[in-house]
Amino acid sequence: MSAFLQYLISGIAVGCGFALLASGLVAIHRVTRVVNFAQGMFAVVGGMTAGSLLSAGLPHGAAETAAVLVAGAVGLAAGLVATGKRGTSPQSALIVTLGLGFLAYAVEIMIWGDNPRSHPGLGGSVIVFGAHVQKQSFLVIGVAAAVFALLGLFFGRTYTGKALTACASNPYAARAVGIDVVRMGLLAFALGGMLGGLGGVLLTPLQPISYNSDVLLITNGFAAAILGGLDRPGVALAGALTLGVAESMVAGYGAASYQTVVALALMLTIMTVRASRRTALQEEAAR
Amino acid sequence: MSAPARRPLPSPGTAAAIAVAAVALVLPVVLPAPQVSVYVLLLISAIVVTGLSMLMGFAGQVSLGQAAFTMIGAYTAALTATHGVPTWAGLLLAPVAAGTAAALVGVPLLRLRGHQLAFATLAVQLILLSVVGRQEWAGGDIGLQGVPRLTVAGYEFADDVAYAYLALGALGCTVLVVRNIVRSRPGRGLRALATSEVAAASAGVPVAVYKQAVFSLSAAFAGLAGGVYAYYIGYVAPGSFPVLLSFEYVVMVVVGGAGTIWGALAGATAVTLLLQVLNDVGTREGMPASAPAVLSYAVYGLLLVLVVLFMPKGLVPTVTDRWRRRAPARGGAEAEPEAEPAPVK
Repeated sequence: MSAFLQYLISGIAVGCGFALLASGLVAIHRVTRVVNFAQGMFAVVGGMTAGSLLSAGLPHGAAETAAVLVAGAVGLAAGLVATGKRGTSPQSALIVTLGLGFLAYAVEIMIWGDNPRSHPGLGGSVIVFGAHVQKQSFLVIGVAAAVFALLGLFFGRTYTGKALTACASNPYAARAVGIDVVRMGLLAFALGGMLGGLGGVLLTPLQPISYNSDVLLITNGFAAAILGGLDRPGVALAGALTLGVAESMVAGYGAASYQTVVALALMLTIMTVRASRRTALQEEAAR
Repeated sequence: MSAPARRPLPSPGTAAAIAVAAVALVLPVVLPAPQVSVYVLLLISAIVVTGLSMLMGFAGQVSLGQAAFTMIGAYTAALTATHGVPTWAGLLLAPVAAGTAAALVGVPLLRLRGHQLAFATLAVQLILLSVVGRQEWAGGDIGLQGVPRLTVAGYEFADDVAYAYLALGALGCTVLVVRNIVRSRPGRGLRALATSEVAAASAGVPVAVYKQAVFSLSAAFAGLAGGVYAYYIGYVAPGSFPVLLSFEYVVMVVVGGAGTIWGALAGATAVTLLLQVLNDVGTREGMPASAPAVLSYAVYGLLLVLVVLFMPKGLVPTVTDRWRRRAPARGGAEAEPEAEPAPVK
């Protein structure tokens, strides 16, 4: 029972990290229709930057915030390249973000080398009903919950958030009422960068990352986001939690090396089931 | 094909094909020994890229996991050969196994389109890599060593030059098959479905069957390449077929131009040569140990971004378009209308 609780909480924590990543993916896709392959890279950049700033002597909190801002700037830059040029289709933009991921590999290896890195988070663990749970897990869950609440307020209550939602639901109408759709797309990319970076900053103390961790991060984020059809952040959150807990349970009770297989198989199943409900006509009409 | 009867002189395309084939045949003999192995690996990539280019350019489907099928082909060849099956049979089985695997995987997967299919194929490769790395019969993460050399009718393919000709032959078969499919009636159906599945279906194109067939066929070519690779290197492991290899194939297709055979060949050649040059630069004295990796990643990234943004059709279509526009009088108008590659989705 205590083992179960331990796996459950660490699974939820990891799931929250995936959820942040997935919500960045959703924010970008909703506004720009681009599936951002570089989303995992934002997390790697965020996590690594936080580690470097901490070892440079910045206090906790400041280092993490700065890392998230750096990731946001990287997100903005990625958005500029991927959507800045007129007439780039969302499909081409996917390939562009793939290319940006490669460029990031080069930069990351130059700065941080190619070994997995980690940075200290909240140290120690607490005992809950006999289960040892790292304090960092609770931090991840708490921060993620706060961020999701803030995101809800941002999209629902602020003018910018509503403008973003308007671009998501109908870019043409949004443009007609004077919303700069291109700028909103860039804003979405910056937001996506920050969310991805935050996910990376929070997860790195739990699982060390290296430059090529982005493939697994992006497939996990995508798996979570695809549950909500890449458009609904709430469903993405539920998907990410399911994924995190499933992986943690498989790692705990089965073999650790099969945890990604389970996550990926889950994603494939969900995708194909969803796809069988949508016909080609609906997809082409939505373009 | 009645083309020769209509045009007594070979068209520029045919002339170029003959010239390229001649150069390709001479190269293994004239190249210095270390370069021959680069040439063999280039040819092996070109086989995969030609198949992938057909899938991306004509059927409009992106596969980010094409190396998974190369891996299946390589393991098939290696496993059968180490279990006493004649190696020539192993080479034939490699594309069959990869094609069959693709057909099975394709049943659920090909309902997906665009970025979903791209991620799904990536997921399939990640699953395959993880599962194979755990199988004892497949050698686990260490892989299979001591794959015997390919022997056909008593002739053993022993040196690099022999493998260069083997790979050339395999590439030639691939190019011929793809060329004939593209020009056939099903080929036109394929291009139609890449533009709009609904329109193609209502015009009587069996969309699901065609997608399935092209997916399997492109996987079979990847499997063939994997088979040649296994006998050439003599060793297969999960690490030989990383996700990065799949991305590399996509880079080659996009750089050369999806949906044209010339584009596939040019893309594979350009990227391989560029990486080779950079590798030489990166391993010079005084360079840090990480230099080759940094340089190659930077080049992949830059190539992909710049080509997609500024040359969306890819190298070969852009160049031929420009050439045609500059010389409209010289048969540009009467030249056989080249198949317009479908947009990649």
